[in-house]
Amino acid sequence: MASPKRRGRLSVRLLFWFLNLSLLPLGVVAFFLIGIAHESISKEILSTQQALAAGFADTVHKYVSTFKNVLMETAGIEEFSSMTAEKQQKFLNRIMQVHLAILELSVVSPTGTEMLRVGRFLRPDPEMRKFEKDEWFLAALKRGLFMGNLERFQGLYPTMTIAVPITDPKAPSAPVGVLMGKVSLNGLTQMLGMEFPSSGRSSAAVVAPDGFVIAHCNPKEVFRPEAKLNGELVNIITTQTDEKGGGPLMLTDGTRLFGAFAYIPDKNLDWAVFIQQPMDYAERTSTAMLKRTVYIVLFVVLCVSVVALFVSGYITQPVRALRDAADRIGKGQFEEVRDLLPLDVNHEVGELAEGFDAMSESLKEKTDELVQAKQKLEEFTHFLERRVDARTRELKAAQDELVKRERLAAIGQMASVVGHEIRNPLAVIQNSTYFIKTKLGGEVDPKIAKHIKIIESEIQQANGIISEILTYSRTRELQPETTSLNAFLEDLVGAYPFPPHITLQKKFDGADASVSIDHTEMRQAIRNIMGNSIEVMPTSGTLGMRTYLEGEWVVIEVSDTGPGMPPEILDKIFGAFFTTKARGTGLGLAVVKKVMDRHKGDVRVESALGKGTVFRLYVPVAKPA
Amino acid sequence: MPSPNKLLIIDDDAHLRESLAEVLELEGFECHQAGTAQSGIDAAIKLSPDAVIMDIQLPDSSGFQICSTLRKRSKETILIMMTGRFLSSEEKKQGFELGADEYITKPFDLTELTVRLRQLLSRNR
Repeated sequence: MASPKRRGRLSVRLLFWFLNLSLLPLGVVAFFLIGIAHESISKEILSTQQALAAGFADTVHKYVSTFKNVLMETAGIEEFSSMTAEKQQKFLNRIMQVHLAILELSVVSPTGTEMLRVGRFLRPDPEMRKFEKDEWFLAALKRGLFMGNLERFQGLYPTMTIAVPITDPKAPSAPVGVLMGKVSLNGLTQMLGMEFPSSGRSSAAVVAPDGFVIAHCNPKEVFRPEAKLNGELVNIITTQTDEKGGGPLMLTDGTRLFGAFAYIPDKNLDWAVFIQQPMDYAERTSTAMLKRTVYIVLFVVLCVSVVALFVSGYITQPVRALRDAADRIGKGQFEEVRDLLPLDVNHEVGELAEGFDAMSESLKEKTDELVQAKQKLEEFTHFLERRVDARTRELKAAQDELVKRERLAAIGQMASVVGHEIRNPLAVIQNSTYFIKTKLGGEVDPKIAKHIKIIESEIQQANGIISEILTYSRTRELQPETTSLNAFLEDLVGAYPFPPHITLQKKFDGADASVSIDHTEMRQAIRNIMGNSIEVMPTSGTLGMRTYLEGEWVVIEVSDTGPGMPPEILDKIFGAFFTTKARGTGLGLAVVKKVMDRHKGDVRVESALGKGTVFRLYVPVAKPA
Repeated sequence: MPSPNKLLIIDDDAHLRESLAEVLELEGFECHQAGTAQSGIDAAIKLSPDAVIMDIQLPDSSGFQICSTLRKRSKETILIMMTGRFLSSEEKKQGFELGADEYITKPFDLTELTVRLRQLLSRNR
């Protein structure tokens, strides 16, 4: 069955719309959520970075301030200005023992000549220097404090110089000298290292405006002779007007990062804390979110598909049932249609099913009517055919009968004429023979007597032949009489001239059926059979005669113990003019057949070569009047 | 010796007629012959035979016709019908009603015929 256009299944279409309607908004929302998440992560990172930067700027400030205060307190105490050099040296040594970050301390006279020098790595009696033109010396004298002068101790470790004026509390406006200290800044790197471990994402640094790296979370970035921060970053930081800030950065080499800075809250210092973090972290996060979202969407697709399959299956089940029912009706199977219909469904499909049911019932009725009409038509056709067949057979039989009768009538007419015409000469010969015989009297030549006998015998023979032909061809009315068959046969057998070499065995049925027969003809028929039987047993033999009932028939059975007949001639023996004898009309058994036909009976023969022949005459049993 | 019985034989076959007559004359009957129905009736009227043996089938009429005519004239005369063919019971019955006494079928057993003739004739006496 080639369907030109296969319609899609309703459930699949429903599934498609389910997916579209449920997943499209989900996708859009997910997209926006990812964007928002990306932004908020960026903001969060930035604000954290800024807070950290500001916090560390404070730390740096406190760290530096500690040493500044130590120096200021030392220089400001009453005794220090009046101490001897030796005492001052002892005092300074004690300070250095307490504060390990202080590498060197010097006492300079107001004229700039170094008066005392204490250092961790100094030889004994170190060289005294002149500082009257150094910036820090002048600044300390004029402004009361100097912080700065970054350099790398031994070319590696960042240090700074702090200088304060030494004053006499009694005359504070006239400094008596300058106390200068070189402070190691390695502590800051250690703190940054602890705050921003190398395994972390962020890195932090403290830089001077010229890019000098004061501290870095990674010591390798600090402890080298030319440790400088990326000029581009330094430029960005130094061009900022705010004390602190931050934002996404895109460097010329393509690096994208989040950067935050905070200046040290000390007017004497122009250092900045800078914290940076590669931007890919936020991207990785949003990518991970995206991945997770995709997984969720896929999972939802799966769940929705399953649910949609069930739901659409549930929704379309009645429709499919209707389709199955329609298929059944299409095949003419009305019996189980009602069981298939979703009649209990309480929506439009249920109404449709009810309509469908009504239609199915109506169709069934109409189909049944059609089938019945067809059956009746067929029966009627068969009836007509049978009638036509029967009528045809009747006509054929009637025609056969007519032909047979006409033929018999013609034969009879001819036989009558011929018989009559031959019987006259036979009668004349008979008369003349009788005359001669009488005239000759008793004294006659035995040969003449013999020939006279031959003539008389031949006349008898010829007359017998004529009689047979006339018997067969005559058209007389049947004159049936209801008779006791046994009595009829007893009479017949009793009157029959059996030759002495024949033994008769008779056995008549005890029921002694009544039959309606024409005595003359029936006698002739039975005598013909008996005559034949005796003729085939010329020397000795047994002639059997018995009767028995077989259904509505009584059978007269005549058997002989003669040579029997070959099967091929059994079919022919009842035909007219068929004979196996040297002399014979071939009418004896034809007469038998004719007589039995006229009695609505039948004759059958059974023969076995070397054993004998059995004739059975079937005569209808007379119905009691 | 009584006078011989007078017989009339009517048949169109001259040979049959003559041979039968001569046989019966041998048996002591006085035989007369006729070849047609008409001549037979004429002869019967003239001769008044004791018995008439006639063929049923004659050129000018039937034996039954003669039988009927003769029986009307005489109740005594023996009337014997000859035939070469089968007669149905109806025909025989009709013949007897017309007055026939006996039927004989050609060719006939002459001994039997003679005996039968004598029987019939002696009954009339």
